[in-house]
Amino acid sequence: MANIHDDPAALKALQDDIYREKILRARAMTSEQRLVEAFELSNHQFGMMLAGAMHRLETRDEEEGWREVALWMRRLDQVRDQGLYVTEKPALA
Amino acid sequence: MKLEDFAIRVLEATESAALDFMIVGAIAAGTHGVPRATKDVDILVAVAGDSKFQCVIRALEDIVEFEPQVVFDTLTWGRRHVGRIRTSPPFKVEFFEVFDDPFVLEEFRRRRKVFVPMLSRETWLPTPEDVVVQKLRWGRSKDLDDARDILAVQGPETLDMEYVQSWCARQGTSGRLQEALAGIPPL
Repeated sequence: MANIHDDPAALKALQDDIYREKILRARAMTSEQRLVEAFELSNHQFGMMLAGAMHRLETRDEEEGWREVALWMRRLDQVRDQGLYVTEKPALA
Repeated sequence: MKLEDFAIRVLEATESAALDFMIVGAIAAGTHGVPRATKDVDILVAVAGDSKFQCVIRALEDIVEFEPQVVFDTLTWGRRHVGRIRTSPPFKVEFFEVFDDPFVLEEFRRRRKVFVPMLSRETWLPTPEDVVVQKLRWGRSKDLDDARDILAVQGPETLDMEYVQSWCARQGTSGRLQEALAGIPPL
């Protein structure tokens, strides 16, 4: 079976198809529906992260799981915000 | 706690301090483009003196711990207050202060009031054009995706592209705008 990654044109067509489907779905929604989905996705994301953390720690203690998730989130912030924020505004030249 | 419950608490605190504000960040971007998950509630707020903002902090202090030091973003030098929820999930709230940046002032002036049933209230959101301009200015990978998604979902033909192009030219992000438009396949 051919590997689509070996065919850049076919891969681009597939990427475009997936993106097109995503856009058309969003277009069919109202602003309110999109807002609701953003909240639902966020809540679901944290549920998945909690499950992942508890599995990794081999624990059934949700509090322990949430502490691990919080640690992950802080690390993500440090990576994503790298260079974007500083604690002191530079003096005017 | 669910993110929408956290957002309601944040909005209630902001409203109770009689501060002008609008929701920005992933929630605003998702409203105009393709919804995506987020961990924080971002608010752009007009702070006229520190005392009103202290009211917000006090109203939230039972559930949010604010970082003691205000930080500045390195693009516009706007002030940002970051708070982390005391419970779980580890949501964050970030308040960005309106300041004398021409674009920030303009996007704040153009904000729209919308009723959001899920939040049980009328609230304020930026226009899609302003979210596109701001996202292209920030230029992180997720920002560029958000900008392209809003352009694709709203359709450039329905947006005030002269306004978008004008700000992009002023901010040196016209190239990013062209890339975002070129990244939209025929629909």
